[in-house]
Amino acid sequence: MSLTLTTIRGAVALVIGLIAGLGLFMGLSHEAQESEYAARLDRLAIIRSRMIADLVVRAGGFGEASRAAVARAATADPGVVSVRVVRLGGAVLEASTVAADSGDRAAPRRLERSEKWIYDLGQMLQAARATNRDEETTRKAEIVVVRDADSGGVLAVAAPIEVDGSVEGLALVQTADEPPPVATPLLPAAIVCCAAVLLFLLTSGIARNSRWGTALLAALALVAALGAAAWFTTRTISEARRQTTRAVVDLTARQATVARAALPEDERAYDLASWDVDSFGRPRGLVQTDGSATAAAVALGAVEARQWVLRRALAIAVAALSLLLGVALGLATRVTATLRKYRQAYTYAAPALIAMLVLVFIPFLYGIALSFTDANIYNSNEPIGDIWVGLRNFRDILTDLTVSRETPAGRVFNYQNFYWTLGFTIVWTVTNVAIGVTVGLALALALNTAGLRFRPIYRVLLITPWAVPNYITALIWRGMFHKQFGVVNQVLLMIGGDSISWFEHPLTSFTAIVSTNGWLSFPFMMVISLGALQSIPGELYEAARVDGASRWQQFTSITLPSLKPALVPAVIVSVIWTFNMFNIPYLVSAGEPAHATEILITQAYKVAFEQYRYGYAAAYSTIIFVILLAYGTWQNRVSRAVEAV
Amino acid sequence: MNRRQITGDLPHFPLHVFVLIWVVIAVYPVLWVVSVAFSGSQSLSIVDLPPNPTVLDRLRTLVPLPAHLSWSNFASVVTDQPFLLWLLNSAIVSTATTLVGVTLACTSAYAFSRFRFPGRNTGLMAFLVSQMFPGTLMLIPLYIVLVMWLGLGSSRLGLVLVYATTGIPFCVWMLKGYFDTIPRELEEAAVIDGASPAAVFFRIVLPLAKPAIAVTALFTFMTGWNEFILAATFMDKESMYTAPVGLRFFVSGYSEQWGYFAAGAIIVSIPVVALFMFLQKYLVSGLTAGAVKG
Repeated sequence: MSLTLTTIRGAVALVIGLIAGLGLFMGLSHEAQESEYAARLDRLAIIRSRMIADLVVRAGGFGEASRAAVARAATADPGVVSVRVVRLGGAVLEASTVAADSGDRAAPRRLERSEKWIYDLGQMLQAARATNRDEETTRKAEIVVVRDADSGGVLAVAAPIEVDGSVEGLALVQTADEPPPVATPLLPAAIVCCAAVLLFLLTSGIARNSRWGTALLAALALVAALGAAAWFTTRTISEARRQTTRAVVDLTARQATVARAALPEDERAYDLASWDVDSFGRPRGLVQTDGSATAAAVALGAVEARQWVLRRALAIAVAALSLLLGVALGLATRVTATLRKYRQAYTYAAPALIAMLVLVFIPFLYGIALSFTDANIYNSNEPIGDIWVGLRNFRDILTDLTVSRETPAGRVFNYQNFYWTLGFTIVWTVTNVAIGVTVGLALALALNTAGLRFRPIYRVLLITPWAVPNYITALIWRGMFHKQFGVVNQVLLMIGGDSISWFEHPLTSFTAIVSTNGWLSFPFMMVISLGALQSIPGELYEAARVDGASRWQQFTSITLPSLKPALVPAVIVSVIWTFNMFNIPYLVSAGEPAHATEILITQAYKVAFEQYRYGYAAAYSTIIFVILLAYGTWQNRVSRAVEAV
Repeated sequence: MNRRQITGDLPHFPLHVFVLIWVVIAVYPVLWVVSVAFSGSQSLSIVDLPPNPTVLDRLRTLVPLPAHLSWSNFASVVTDQPFLLWLLNSAIVSTATTLVGVTLACTSAYAFSRFRFPGRNTGLMAFLVSQMFPGTLMLIPLYIVLVMWLGLGSSRLGLVLVYATTGIPFCVWMLKGYFDTIPRELEEAAVIDGASPAAVFFRIVLPLAKPAIAVTALFTFMTGWNEFILAATFMDKESMYTAPVGLRFFVSGYSEQWGYFAAGAIIVSIPVVALFMFLQKYLVSGLTAGAVKG
């Protein structure tokens, strides 16, 4: 064993990789344990509150019998601090084991002002139940856990009391459980760390001082250490889950005993599966009706824990390994040297570059990553790996070819289809640019006439549409196309036509948005063309006239070629602008009717912010980006060619 | 200006007619907004139609001149409605965006213009490519990161961060182009006189680039002032709306308050329209130059 420079660098790299990797694993394990404990406390508290709710219903609803039963149950369970039962109709505190609620404050009585929050909670549960039932979804929590901000433990759980399928009241249970302390395995981590370094130093002779060989050995040692850490973390998390399972099964059984003792005259068996539920009231499937644990659910929990760790372990390994290789192969040294050498340049460039990196490029890459997930409003906090769906979004978007189908009532278009929107966007872009160029060029030619009076005034007035902020333009035109009071329909009525509901048919809707966009885009082309026209030497025309060229010949062989260098780039940018012109379709037609006049980016926006399907919308946006990139590459070649001419 | 164009010997009268038609088209919507603003009512129509309108009556509805003039829309939009607050939000956001964006862009553009360093070309290309990301494409990840993770929804700070960074590439390219035209000899002379690199930048380059910085700043301000969709997505609370979101709020939903909208639109537009008329020649050269260089 000889300590050469290469070996030392390898060892340093290994230590850095170990610190980063094991540190991340410890953080991971800590976070996982914390959330597991929190989830466990919630779950136990929910079981207790569901039992109380069951008890009240069994004892014949609100009244003396249920009050006595609740009091008996609360005293029998040392884990319960207090129980309150509230009836929403009349805002009555039906039962309470809170110490202060005795004497003249004893239940039953009306809720006091200071207890309004309990009533509000009940209203919320009632509304949540109604919403979920109407929408047939599980969007709003039907059982609410109020957490203690200081200890992180459960403060209280509110479970609805349902009579004949409607929420009549709630059971508010305060529990005494505290989360167990989270273990941080410092000693095992240190041992693994030392073992890995030792392993590396012992084997470093094999590499014979080659930089790559040493790096490979260090990487292997790191992988071994991370493997050990992954195994250890899996064990910790699985153990925490096992404890949860045991605690849940035990508590349900105990609660069943408590319930039977509290209401001895009722001999019907309790449905214990209905106590261990999630916040939407759905059974979690661990406890069976008779209180025994489902073996499959226990096994699944262990498998889930393993997968959960594995996915994160891969990400950690990639990070730690790249760090190690960066140091071991001397990349880090080289980067530092470069940074130092060009220190001044980087100091100046850094602020903007870092801002761009953090708020433009990283979000962009994150957006691309999202396109491979089924991220939506509920799960966007979860790591990418957990909601990964591969290419499914892209397949859904690109392989759906049914733009229209025959039905007995006639042809029905699916305007949400990607290819309809793509086709529409292309037609929209081409039409608008064509209108812009034609009108702009015609006006420029007219304005360029020698000795035309009022020219400067005309020019300023004609630029107005460009100067007005385009969202204002859009809203103005939406008003002008109003069916009843809009100016456009007034004109139609005046000349003897009928008024049109502009946004009820795809074609009229298209006309409306194209008119709006045409209005705001022709001044740009006019200004560009005017500038280019003024730089054409008049001698060219004179010479052509001497040669007997007609006006049309002059136009096609002198004017157009001279305009080309200015017009081509202008057309290129205005294609991109029109393609990305969000405000006009969004504000004028709003995609009506039935998303027929949606362009690609407004469609992507609506998928994201009206349907909340972030993953799908991200895939949609990625496709748009690819289209733009292809166009950009192509335009680059075209404009090079124009420049060369 | 030469006097021998292709249209040189055409009769002027039809040209005037043609141009005038387009002038009417260009100006009409603006006049219409002005007359709705001064009509004093919330209705879309400028005059009310009698029960059996004649062609003349109908023609009258088209003339952008309200039946009676009134300031009431302007008065109530700034007093009864939270419009002043929205204007203030817009002003704060746009000003902060300009300060942050232009400051960051100045130093960065200077580095790209004066120094050759590894990553320079990649950086410049990255700036250009980022201009190709449509705003809505960035919206989803930005929304998740800023609003759902960092809780910066309905905050001016979040909007400023987004506007400033998305505006940086444009600012950097504009300023770099101008820095390139400042002769290096000036800086070298200063260095010989013993100026530190920082002094060269702050005392020589920045003062020389004042006009370009001013133009860039005005553009950045205008972009922030006119931006609609990011603000509409990020600002949920009514008290945090910017002016564009607020104006849209007036005419969406069940009660369409066109009078307030028109009055507000005029207040919001006057500064930017004036700025635009002043700046348009820079805009044209900047945009097309960028496109050709690709």
